[in-house]
Amino acid sequence: MDLIRQIPAVEGFFTWPSEQPALIASHCVSCGSYAFPAFSTCINPHCPDKKVEQVTLSRKGKLWTYTIHHYQPPPPFISPEPFKPYGIGVVELPEGIKVLGMLTTIDPDALQVGADMELVVEALNTDAEGTAYLTWKFAPVKGVDHA
Amino acid sequence: MREVGILGIGIHPWGKFRSKTYVDLGVHATQEALKDAGLEWTDIQSMACGCYVWGGMAGLLAGHQLAYVMGETGIPIINIYNACATSTAALREAWLMVASGQCDVALAVGLDKSPEGFLPALGDDPHDADYVRWRMAGVSNPGYWGLEARRRMFEYGTTEEDLALIKVKSSKAGALNPNARYRKVYTTADVLKSPMVCDPLRLFEICATSDGAAAVIVASMDRVRQHTSKPVKIAGISVSSSKFGDPAVRVLTLSSPVTATAPYMSESVIAAQMVYEQAGIGPEDVDIVELPDNSSWHELVYMENMGICKRGEAEQLVRNGDTEIGGRIPVCPSGGAASFGEAVAAQGLLQVHENVVQLRGQAGPRQVQGAKVAISQVYGMQGNNSAVLLTN
Repeated sequence: MDLIRQIPAVEGFFTWPSEQPALIASHCVSCGSYAFPAFSTCINPHCPDKKVEQVTLSRKGKLWTYTIHHYQPPPPFISPEPFKPYGIGVVELPEGIKVLGMLTTIDPDALQVGADMELVVEALNTDAEGTAYLTWKFAPVKGVDHA
Repeated sequence: MREVGILGIGIHPWGKFRSKTYVDLGVHATQEALKDAGLEWTDIQSMACGCYVWGGMAGLLAGHQLAYVMGETGIPIINIYNACATSTAALREAWLMVASGQCDVALAVGLDKSPEGFLPALGDDPHDADYVRWRMAGVSNPGYWGLEARRRMFEYGTTEEDLALIKVKSSKAGALNPNARYRKVYTTADVLKSPMVCDPLRLFEICATSDGAAAVIVASMDRVRQHTSKPVKIAGISVSSSKFGDPAVRVLTLSSPVTATAPYMSESVIAAQMVYEQAGIGPEDVDIVELPDNSSWHELVYMENMGICKRGEAEQLVRNGDTEIGGRIPVCPSGGAASFGEAVAAQGLLQVHENVVQLRGQAGPRQVQGAKVAISQVYGMQGNNSAVLLTN
């Protein structure tokens, strides 16, 4: 089957199409708070001005925690057949926000709290017409010094 | 505000009841509570009731469904939906009615039926945060709990044995409770052999989804004292929500701040603080803790949220056996969600039911000797919480 097109499974979470896709967040120019996904107002109740702009978040961060999901979830998650366990992680970004997303690996050697991770976009599933449905994931950074 | 106490309690055992509706379960619990209170249904002057989403459209009016079967009397009925905090939010409504003098006898009911396995999203709306977390991140509720449990291991050195030991402790208590769904006693080895679900949490360390119902009738303390020689008072009851700046990775959310500017799991910390302040006592005075042990990770973190010990110290209490019946501070002597499973909208009143039984000294083989103060707290997704503090 030919891959005809690649689209986000749900729009609005990351820049696409893009060579270097990034998560879309809201950033408050008044108090500096970030929110992912993006909202139309600042989520800080004490913020004086609540002026938000849409920004893209850093593509690299540190793994704050992770889990391996060993059981097949119900829809609307669409699992490959046969089901394979997958990783989920929370990654700490330089902006001071932690973001949750699937991981590209369940290799225990690659998954350590504090490990360097980077954002990628991968297909969750592909339908019979050849449309791939994409999401954001975090992948371990291999051999890259980005101190 | 008047002092308010517990006039009657009722429960339908937890389990899976395919031939029964949530209304059937609620009728059973309500009839038992009426009997305990020495009342007729027509004596109830106000009711608050809640059911979770699996009750469907009709379940949004679960209180009215229940009243229809019990016999409609025209009383005020409020239906409450606050996820896991539903039934204790209903109890707070009943408490407010009596405390404020709006009525003398009020009923709170939590009743629920659940699907098997992971609780899935309802529908396919891409703007629904529940749909998004499943579709885009494949993260179940135990997935969130696994993330927190893994981080806790990193921060505090929690071991897989600690997580297993919690289930062992709860299974011993649940084996003594006729209302529990699971009554088998497990060993640490049994638990560690159970399949990994959301690493590091195993199947026996995550609660099942159950059906069940519980009902509580409240009245002024004067009336409760006239009715029974073992009166139980509602010394504190709270409903709370999170504060901005809470660093917890909360179910349904996809991000949280790195640097905390509010307490971790603030909704839980606030709910506990509120009941301690209302009662004028502190966590050091508590004899029994019923907490939302949706997973073994929950049991550790909620002990700390409720002030029973400091952050990072809960494992030591578990290892010492302090949290067993007969220990220094028994946690979930009912057997907890580990032994009952979770019937979401009824879970809070299950805890209250247990604490009342304990404070009346009627818990039989699982009785916590000399208990005077019992606290309970539910879990609640999206920063939603409730706590109840009872004294005798």
